[in-house]
Amino acid sequence: MSDVPFNRSIYARLVLWAIAVSITVTLLLWAVTEATIERSGRAALSRAVDVDLAGLADIFASGGPTELQRRIADRLALASADGNAPHYMLAADDGRKLAGDVERWPALSPLLSQSGKVALANGQPVFARATQLGPGLRLLVAREYGHDSELLGQVRLAFLAAGAFLAATVGLAGMWLARRLAGRIDRINRAFREQDEPSLDALSDGRSARDEIGELTRHSAEALDRLKRLVVTHRETSDQIAHELRTPLMHLDTRLVRALKAAPDDAARTTLADARTEIRHIVALLESLLDIATSEARRGDRRGLSPVNLSLLAERIGDLYADSAEESGHRFVVAIEPGVTLDGEEMQLTRLITNLLDNAFKYVPAGCTVKLAVEHGPRLTVSDDGPGIAPDDRARIFDRFQRGARSPGEGQGAGLGLALAKAIAGRHGLGLSLAPTESGATFVLSPEGIT
Amino acid sequence: MSAINILYVEDDSRVAAEVQELASRAGDRVTWESSGAAGLLRAGKDDFDVIILDRTLPDIDGMTILKRLRESGVGTPVLMLSALGRTIDRAEGLDAGADDYLAKPFEAEELLARLRALHRRNAGREHSAVIIYGTFECHVKARTAFRDNKHLALSPKEFELFRYFMENAGEVVTREMLLRDVWKMGFDPQTNVVDVNIGRLRRKLEEGFATPALETIWGTGYRLLEGR
Repeated sequence: MSDVPFNRSIYARLVLWAIAVSITVTLLLWAVTEATIERSGRAALSRAVDVDLAGLADIFASGGPTELQRRIADRLALASADGNAPHYMLAADDGRKLAGDVERWPALSPLLSQSGKVALANGQPVFARATQLGPGLRLLVAREYGHDSELLGQVRLAFLAAGAFLAATVGLAGMWLARRLAGRIDRINRAFREQDEPSLDALSDGRSARDEIGELTRHSAEALDRLKRLVVTHRETSDQIAHELRTPLMHLDTRLVRALKAAPDDAARTTLADARTEIRHIVALLESLLDIATSEARRGDRRGLSPVNLSLLAERIGDLYADSAEESGHRFVVAIEPGVTLDGEEMQLTRLITNLLDNAFKYVPAGCTVKLAVEHGPRLTVSDDGPGIAPDDRARIFDRFQRGARSPGEGQGAGLGLALAKAIAGRHGLGLSLAPTESGATFVLSPEGIT
Repeated sequence: MSAINILYVEDDSRVAAEVQELASRAGDRVTWESSGAAGLLRAGKDDFDVIILDRTLPDIDGMTILKRLRESGVGTPVLMLSALGRTIDRAEGLDAGADDYLAKPFEAEELLARLRALHRRNAGREHSAVIIYGTFECHVKARTAFRDNKHLALSPKEFELFRYFMENAGEVVTREMLLRDVWKMGFDPQTNVVDVNIGRLRRKLEEGFATPALETIWGTGYRLLEGR
């Protein structure tokens, strides 16, 4: 599966977004619906009150106050309990009730024919309109509107249920879709990560799809194919170079051994032995160059790396150099924090550290101190208090075949030791640099970008 | 040391002839097979003390042969001899189960020394508490060394080195063997530090004596002498 944690996954975020959007849209729809229901409910109520009021005003005009009182009583008696129940008040100008069921005149002006939501004496909220029927006589018609709230409650419930259903559906469908997409993307990621046959085969299965991921899959498969071919070609070429050069050198060396046995005098023997030494140098040079090439070709490739105890490795190497440092008249300090590990190739790391130490002991005069330190990070330093490195040489010290005032010690003076050390560092995702110091030289091996 | 029965799988007949000549001079017997398939067949049929395997063979490569040998339960020590000498090649060879890895061109003495070391390792030689060789004495438990009854003042590491030479008295000890067994490093980083350390030990073994204690084998390693 992918290395991406759930909260960073683009699919998880997409699904969460889709759920959030569906919930928001549902809420908006609900708000609009409720507003509409409320508005139309209010309009209907206002119309009903107005019609009722107009009817009663007509009755007053034709039948007088007595008839009006009778009709009000009729309406109150007839009004069903489940509708928006009406309430009436026929009152004198001083607010004294003449008929109806409203006990107290609300704050509505009959002269202005005011209407609005008011509360009755018993706390019942109503929509009411007041009017002046004649001198000394005013009429109030009111209707309850509590039933709209019930409707709104039902609407709210319906939206809640619909919203939950929508969110769940979007979530489930999104997850299903995301899993399918994630599977296809994961195939690409795995192919890049593992770069082995099964993952590359799985990748070519997905290249026929005609959508964007299909296109990405095709491009990835092609890129990995090219990469694989390059790696194989590189390997084959360097193997061939090694094989084709080493084998004749071996035959040449054998001839020299034979000649050495038959050599007439010491002078001839010395010359032949020197020739054999030259052959060794050529082989060492070839090996270093191929090592550099291989390390650089595998830069950033985590495969083939396994946990290495850097502390233990450095300790053993320090042990190897301790007596020889004393022999050459150097002070050798080893400061190693225990338990520093990294993913690496032990042999290459050994080569890196010994190259740095060889370089230090070769160029630092006797009497000076060479220090090997390992800290968590991981950070490995080889430092000395010798004459240091000339500013002009500092920039070029890691170049191949660089034999300046302080040339690398390995490769029989071919100037490849530090170049190889840097290449090995790069293969491990580490950087090897020369720290800016006032005196001496300090080589620092640490994760790239940190010194 | 008894003669070693060697199987050698190598496609280059010239190298094969050289190795055969070398080994027979040392009293060993070499059976040569020129292809991977024939080598595999032979390794399964006959008993050998050591197998020398060339890494680049025309039919089946050495790494595959090694893997198949180990899978089929053949535990004979294998020395891989190869024209590929990069660090990564050595690592791959040893990871694949080779007991030793030697790159061409090699020293005759080095090949013989390694073959003997592999054979010895397999035979599992026991060492007593006191090892005596020529004029030398090594008291393993007391960690003291003598030459002609004269105490040798050795540092702890020098004693380890001396003891290793005593345990392999009369045999050629290669730099790689010293790195592996004395300094516990699985790989020769091509540094000359080993030689510096041996130089120190040599001085301590020879100081005040007229005869040499260690013989340098060119391009290979060292051999402890009896010191007479």
